[in-house]
Amino acid sequence: MIPRLLLSAVYFGLGIIIAFVPENTTKPFRLTAEQMLNEVKYRSEMVSSDELADWMVNQDPSIQLIDIRTPKEFDQFHLENALNIPLSQILDEEWIDFLDQGIKMNILYSNGTTLAHEAWMISRQLGYENNYVLQGGLNYWTETILNPSAPSPYSADDEIAKYEFRKGASQYFGGEMKSTNESKKTKTDKPIIKRRKKKKAPQGGC
Amino acid sequence: MNPYLAGILLGLVLVAAFYFTGRGLGASGAVKSVVVSVVDVVAPDHANNSGFYSKYIGDGKNPLKTWLVFEVLGVLVGGFLSGAFAGRLKLKVEHHPNITSKKRLILAGIGGVLFGYGSQLGRGCTSGSALTGMAVLSVAGFVSMMAIFGTAFAFAYFFRRNWI
Amino acid sequence: MGPLIPQEIIAEGWNFLIAFGVGIGFGFILEQAGFSSSRKLAGVFYGYDAVVLKVFFTGAITGMIGLLYLSLFDWIDLNLIWVNPTYLWSAIIGGIIMGAGFIVGGFCPGTSVCAAAIGKIDAMVFFGGIFIGILLFGETFEWIKPLYMAEYWGQIKLSELIGISQGLLTFFIIIAALLMFWVAEMAEKKFPQKEY
Repeated sequence: MIPRLLLSAVYFGLGIIIAFVPENTTKPFRLTAEQMLNEVKYRSEMVSSDELADWMVNQDPSIQLIDIRTPKEFDQFHLENALNIPLSQILDEEWIDFLDQGIKMNILYSNGTTLAHEAWMISRQLGYENNYVLQGGLNYWTETILNPSAPSPYSADDEIAKYEFRKGASQYFGGEMKSTNESKKTKTDKPIIKRRKKKKAPQGGC
Repeated sequence: MNPYLAGILLGLVLVAAFYFTGRGLGASGAVKSVVVSVVDVVAPDHANNSGFYSKYIGDGKNPLKTWLVFEVLGVLVGGFLSGAFAGRLKLKVEHHPNITSKKRLILAGIGGVLFGYGSQLGRGCTSGSALTGMAVLSVAGFVSMMAIFGTAFAFAYFFRRNWI
Repeated sequence: MGPLIPQEIIAEGWNFLIAFGVGIGFGFILEQAGFSSSRKLAGVFYGYDAVVLKVFFTGAITGMIGLLYLSLFDWIDLNLIWVNPTYLWSAIIGGIIMGAGFIVGGFCPGTSVCAAAIGKIDAMVFFGGIFIGILLFGETFEWIKPLYMAEYWGQIKLSELIGISQGLLTFFIIIAALLMFWVAEMAEKKFPQKEY
């Protein structure tokens, strides 16, 4: 009798405690502040507009553009095949599978660099990988790819090569430059997509 | 062993299973795996066409290589060890003196068929759905548990001759 | 932070070994508790032996408390734990059929394996019956499929359904379980078990 009363009291007590302690529902940040600082030091998450133009011209299937501006701005103009995830919705359930994945390279862009970089910060702190930021955003994109300015004839060779590439890209994207020259496509090294197994909840049943 | 102590240990084993692998216990799923593999060997086309069997043999994967099959093999070993330590190892048919062995075996067989069918429909048996389900507070767990125990209580009167 | 294998803290290869170990523990405890005897299992429905009730519910509430307290100390991520999905009609009707099977056969799949391990022939027959039952289900699957897939509520927890916290629900269940144990103890004294 006594041991059973004791057991009942223990379970009752444990039950009372667990009933009234607030639930632990926070999604833990996977990276500490130090780890984040280390990562941003090397700026490895930035993607330049030249690199992006190159991949888009070559119709690279492993990239996914994500426009984090408001839907109104998205409708006015957006890059081809971009997905619109406004910054305010970045934590929503429906976008988790796009942001937290190991198959494609997500390239976040906004008008400038700041907003896209903020989105990147948040996604990185949640432990998501394979997200990158378009350096300079749409503003710089327009400036360099859509309407590249011609370099002076005394510039270095690679400057001229870059300009030729941009001219060709601009033609592809429907920018102002109309050129008949063959643009030299610069081959850029793509960062390796971190292929990781999605941490799916385990199977169970029966 | 004191039933309450057994329950506590059972709960701890359950928590350990969750802690290590993220899933709880089960039993009927292992039998299903065996049935699927047998059907696949005997009549592979039929297995591939069926909505039920094909799920477990798609892409050439082996239906026997599942968590539950290994777990049930463990149950077999564990039960044997326990029986051996307690001296309960004995080949016999356990039945009430008022009924014959044969009747008991027939009842056991019918009970098994019912349970097999019911476990697939109910997506789990008492260990997998009711016990594990209740531990994670799933609705299916509670519903299963109430349905199983409720029905058994309801039919108990009609089968009392076999037990008391 | 658990669960260990889904979080890849230990390798996937351990999964089956751990399954085997868990099974051994499960089987050992069940047999020690006496679940290898169909008489003891059916006893709760006639009042003379409530061992099923005691072990089952103690196990369930220990499991609940264990998981919630682990989560409280951040040792487990409850979002990665398998919650079995609720298909309402499947659960109810499947449960009814299983209940009938329980009272007729006197076993459930897990306990029948246990009992078969110590030599009970009726348990082996029961186990064989499960095969036939599942085969029957597989063959008639198309007919029962609409019922099988009906009323899908998702991987929903009872606490979410009612709208209370998991801890509070656990507390209520503990109370309910303690009451049931008390009633069961009284019933056991009232309906003595005849030896055979």
